[in-house]
Amino acid sequence: MKARRKVVTSPDVRPVKPKRTPTVRPIKSAIVPVDRSRVRPSAGRSAPPAPTLAEREALDRIDLSVELAPRRGLRLPNPIMVASGTFGYGVEYGEVVDVQRLGAICCKGTTLRPRAGNPPPRVTETPGGMLNSIGLQNPGVDAVIEKYGPIWQGWRVPVIVNVAGESIEDYVEVARRLDGVPGVAGIELNISCPNVGKGGLQFAIDRDAAKAVTAAVRRATDLPLLVKLSPNVADVRPIARAIEEAGADAISAINTLSGLAVSADRSRAFLGNTYGGLSGPAVKPVALRVVYEVAQTVSIPIVGIGGVTNVGDVLDFMACGAAAVQVGTSLFADPELPVRLAEELRLECHKRGLASCEPLVGTALPKRGGAPSAKGVEYRP
Amino acid sequence: MRLVSAELVESRQILPEQWLQSFHAPELAGAARAGQFVHVRTGDYSGLVLRRPFSVNTADAATGIVTVHFRTVGCGTEWMTHARPGDRIDMLGPLGRPFEVDPRSHNLLLVAGGLGMAGVRMLADEAVRDGRKVTILFGAVDAAHVYPSSLLPDEIEYVVATDDGSLGHRGFVTELVPDYEAWADQAFACGPHPMLKRLAELAAGRRERLGVARLGRKGGSGRADPLGSAAARRKAFLQVSMEQTMGCAVGACLGCVVMGVEGPQRVCREGPVFASEEIAWESIA
Repeated sequence: MKARRKVVTSPDVRPVKPKRTPTVRPIKSAIVPVDRSRVRPSAGRSAPPAPTLAEREALDRIDLSVELAPRRGLRLPNPIMVASGTFGYGVEYGEVVDVQRLGAICCKGTTLRPRAGNPPPRVTETPGGMLNSIGLQNPGVDAVIEKYGPIWQGWRVPVIVNVAGESIEDYVEVARRLDGVPGVAGIELNISCPNVGKGGLQFAIDRDAAKAVTAAVRRATDLPLLVKLSPNVADVRPIARAIEEAGADAISAINTLSGLAVSADRSRAFLGNTYGGLSGPAVKPVALRVVYEVAQTVSIPIVGIGGVTNVGDVLDFMACGAAAVQVGTSLFADPELPVRLAEELRLECHKRGLASCEPLVGTALPKRGGAPSAKGVEYRP
Repeated sequence: MRLVSAELVESRQILPEQWLQSFHAPELAGAARAGQFVHVRTGDYSGLVLRRPFSVNTADAATGIVTVHFRTVGCGTEWMTHARPGDRIDMLGPLGRPFEVDPRSHNLLLVAGGLGMAGVRMLADEAVRDGRKVTILFGAVDAAHVYPSSLLPDEIEYVVATDDGSLGHRGFVTELVPDYEAWADQAFACGPHPMLKRLAELAAGRRERLGVARLGRKGGSGRADPLGSAAARRKAFLQVSMEQTMGCAVGACLGCVVMGVEGPQRVCREGPVFASEEIAWESIA
């Protein structure tokens, strides 16, 4: 935990403080904090040492691009995407983040008709993570296309629209309306939202339902199609296999884990919707497990999601078989994180002498040719 | 809105569990307006993943000093109290929409409950600077929790109510409001939601009780400004600063909504300041 933010800088190098004298003289504090060691001045945003020109050229030659839909074409400039629901429609963070340097943007879950979402409060912090139950608040697919389509069209960064629905017909209709819209690079099928009554988890926990909805959307559109898995199932592998068979181009894993928080006076659940979805560093091991299992089950690309906060997490997901990762909750604390991660991944490739990040994918998976892994069944009841 | 690395200049405890910290952040101090907030990143050491929103308590563009006033409620705020002058803290801001004062308003009534003082404190500065008259009504549990008058501008009237009567009026701060509602041209409030709800009830009946004519060239009979617009807020008698647990603070995650009459409103983007007419008060607990 302690070393997390100093990924590139060696731990003994103190960040150089700019010489700035405050205009107001510091007044001596009446109460002197005792535990100095607990305070670490924010150093995470300080840039790594500037590379030399030769190094810069070598770095620029490294090809970070990944292809998420080999048959249809969804090439990302780098494997660091932003996760649905944490980046709005890509415009909200525009003042502080250079969105064009992201690998891709997954926009907020979009439904056929406008949705008002769940009653507040909707978010709360938990140890190493947060619970949310937004409830798919969104203005509806037509409003999204009208308002953001022209903006996305002018962007270099691919925008993947996250699609949610209550029935297969809903999913199909939204996909059909998105088909051919300039600026929409792909669809991420959200069949795993734990925070809505109807159409949330029901498709992600049942193999046949997952297959049916994927196949139906596949028929409705030729856009690259990602399907987002839920960890709230006993075994994710048959579902992943069904989704692959139904024609998905890639699988993203995972959506949030269903959780609960209690109000301060213990009189009720804290969130307006009672249940919420857990995300953040706390879910990373679960996400890694799911990616690890899915990677051994399917041959389509996998997008790893869950608790990515530093380049080590990115490498972990890639080692477990993810071709790309999505950054979500960590964005809230550090909006510049995804852009920085792409640069740090480039450095990691450079350190290992790689020309692209592709060799990093799947290094932790059981070697092919050996006996298929039987691990993963025994820990379940 | 920008990310700044703010240097802590002064940190002190002003009330039990309540701290006032000054930061040197000229970008924020120059841009912040009363009612806006900053989103502060606390240390990583205990696995905190969210920033903490704080109202801008005061901002001085000349010195580049921004202050925040907070209560220690958990690990994040606890961490902040351990920061020492010279430490740099990551802030995102200024965020949200500010209080809108009608240029014709001369007498401003500020109502604050407890830590709500942090929400309206800067408006007192701005109003005094603009030559307006300000009365702050402040409510606290007891005398020990009353915001020190030494931290307020000299030009204002400061009236205190405490729950146990240990200082000032005995009872809720909202009970003081009827004495001032005729005097005030506009009211601005921040505090616990029940307090804001009571104020909204008082504000809704004010016109009838006092027989106040509507301001405006056509006596208020012209086309109304759209609800939620700055112009509509400027004409509202009561503006409230709302609070909600928050995620991104830039309007992306839709986590910090309060229910408005026209559907969910993001505290971070449409708020934190709302005209009282915009809020669906029946939904506020």
